[in-house]
Amino acid sequence: MSVAVAPQLELRGVTKRFGGVAAVDGVSFEVARGDIVGVIGPNGAGKTTLLNCISGVYHLDGGDILLNGTSIAGMAPHRVARLGIGRTFQIVKPFGSMTARENVGIGALFGSEHERRGVRESFALADEVLELVGLKAKADHPVTALTIPDRKRLEVARAVATRPQLLLLDEVMAGLNNVEIDEALDMVRAVHATGVTVVLIEHVMRVIVGVCRRAVVLDSGQVLAQGEPEVVLRDERVIQAYLGERYAKRLKS
Amino acid sequence: MSWRRVFMILGLVVAAYALLAPLTSLDPAQSAGVPLLADRLWFRIATFIAMFIVMATAWNIIGGITGYAAFGNVAFFGIGAYTTGMLIAKAKWPFLAALPFAPVVAALFAALVGLPLLRLRGHYFAVASLGVGVAVGELVQNIDYNGQPLFGGASGLFLPIYAVDNRGLFFFYVMVAAAALAIAVTWWVLRSRFGYGLIAIRENEEAASVLGVNTTAYKVAAFALAAALTGLAGGIFSQWNVFINQDNAFPIEYNVQMILMALLGGTGTVFGPAAGAVLLQLLIQFLGGSLPMSMNLPFVSDAARPIVAQVILGVLLVMVVIFVPRGVIDFFGGRTRLSLAYLRRSLRETSL
Repeated sequence: MSVAVAPQLELRGVTKRFGGVAAVDGVSFEVARGDIVGVIGPNGAGKTTLLNCISGVYHLDGGDILLNGTSIAGMAPHRVARLGIGRTFQIVKPFGSMTARENVGIGALFGSEHERRGVRESFALADEVLELVGLKAKADHPVTALTIPDRKRLEVARAVATRPQLLLLDEVMAGLNNVEIDEALDMVRAVHATGVTVVLIEHVMRVIVGVCRRAVVLDSGQVLAQGEPEVVLRDERVIQAYLGERYAKRLKS
Repeated sequence: MSWRRVFMILGLVVAAYALLAPLTSLDPAQSAGVPLLADRLWFRIATFIAMFIVMATAWNIIGGITGYAAFGNVAFFGIGAYTTGMLIAKAKWPFLAALPFAPVVAALFAALVGLPLLRLRGHYFAVASLGVGVAVGELVQNIDYNGQPLFGGASGLFLPIYAVDNRGLFFFYVMVAAAALAIAVTWWVLRSRFGYGLIAIRENEEAASVLGVNTTAYKVAAFALAAALTGLAGGIFSQWNVFINQDNAFPIEYNVQMILMALLGGTGTVFGPAAGAVLLQLLIQFLGGSLPMSMNLPFVSDAARPIVAQVILGVLLVMVVIFVPRGVIDFFGGRTRLSLAYLRRSLRETSL
């Protein structure tokens, strides 16, 4: 007897409206365990809104979200986090009065439903995670002393410290230069190698092609295309929606 | 010798004097010829100082550590005072049996109003909590039952005098114990998982929630904890003062004073609010003319003193927020040195 294995994350017709505008309009796709999926799309396509829906920051206006076959729609953000979905914010939201270690320690202290850690244990875990993302040397620095790339790393480290099974990264490469993007890619690969499924929301094409096994393209709140990154990015509709017609023509010629 | 050590020794001497001087009024000390270091008036002022240490330290839990500027905490003080007061005056309970209900009722009330109120942020929360603070006082004075004022009404509530030797001394030490409890609770909070959650909420509530902090439960718990300590002070006050009414159990100016004390001393710290309470309460008593060393203020008549005191407090609030945003505890701790450069830097940072 074969048992159908539920995908780790499944979106079924997820809809979120702001007034009359459907920012996310009937989005459905699946994420398999251990995958790295890129979600791309032009500005205003609904990428961040979708992420806010998954992490419980927004209430859905329609559809359902399932984690390992169980609905998590309508759950408060802290419950979603404890079930194993970690996320970062596009505009980093560090705890300003804390050191890097304390920031990451918050994730370790509160992120897990089952393995509850004490303060000391959590800070020890925070140190491990800081090493993983390459911030170990700056563990005692106040957040305000960190550079922008380091703050983005810290954002990822905090989410990783919650010991998620699924990590949602919201444009962690935005605003970084090429060298910094390479370093950040290494970090994402290192995190993925620990057994975490990763969903990357990205603008930077190179990132999607570089690490993602699958890409989902959003436009005006709807799924335009999905599949292997190289294939999807050659899709004419995608090129037009995402890069504009001029670029589409240039690519053809 | 570093400033830090000077401040610490000075602080310890003041604390030791404040705690031990009242003992010189006891009969054994008097008959042994120990000079009287503290009289009745001093007991009263010192007890008030301890009471404000409780309130400022409690406010710090919700206002300083959690970052929710509660402007109506006097409601909890009044609720505590009336809970204990009613149990003693109407139900004839002994003081020590009635006192534990003051923090319990205050905390339950805080949890009840906190659930809707703590959904508001920033100024909205501040204004709404101020409204609750005012409303509760009015309700307590005006609720009637069978045509009789339920809580003593406008004429207030009289309690039987607590039969204990050296009453002034007794209530001073009870209030000091409450202050010590408030400080100990803060010390524990800042080292606990609970406290880290509260600080995370203060620094960024949305980030805290996606990292697994149950923000609603934590905010309500912090509010209720602050209310419990404030209510405890109120409960002690009711039996100490023997008479309570809307004016002395729900004084609106306490709202501002406890916040100012916490800001002056240093929000989010263990001892900051207590230090602020001592400094500010002494200043208030000095300006009000009730300290022995209070002198006549130039150009100010006795009648105008309370008004002038309020004006000076207002100016002080502005100065503290602009120039010493992290409180004077920063200097005591030796982390910062009081200098013109520090004041300039603060001015630059706070005027962003």
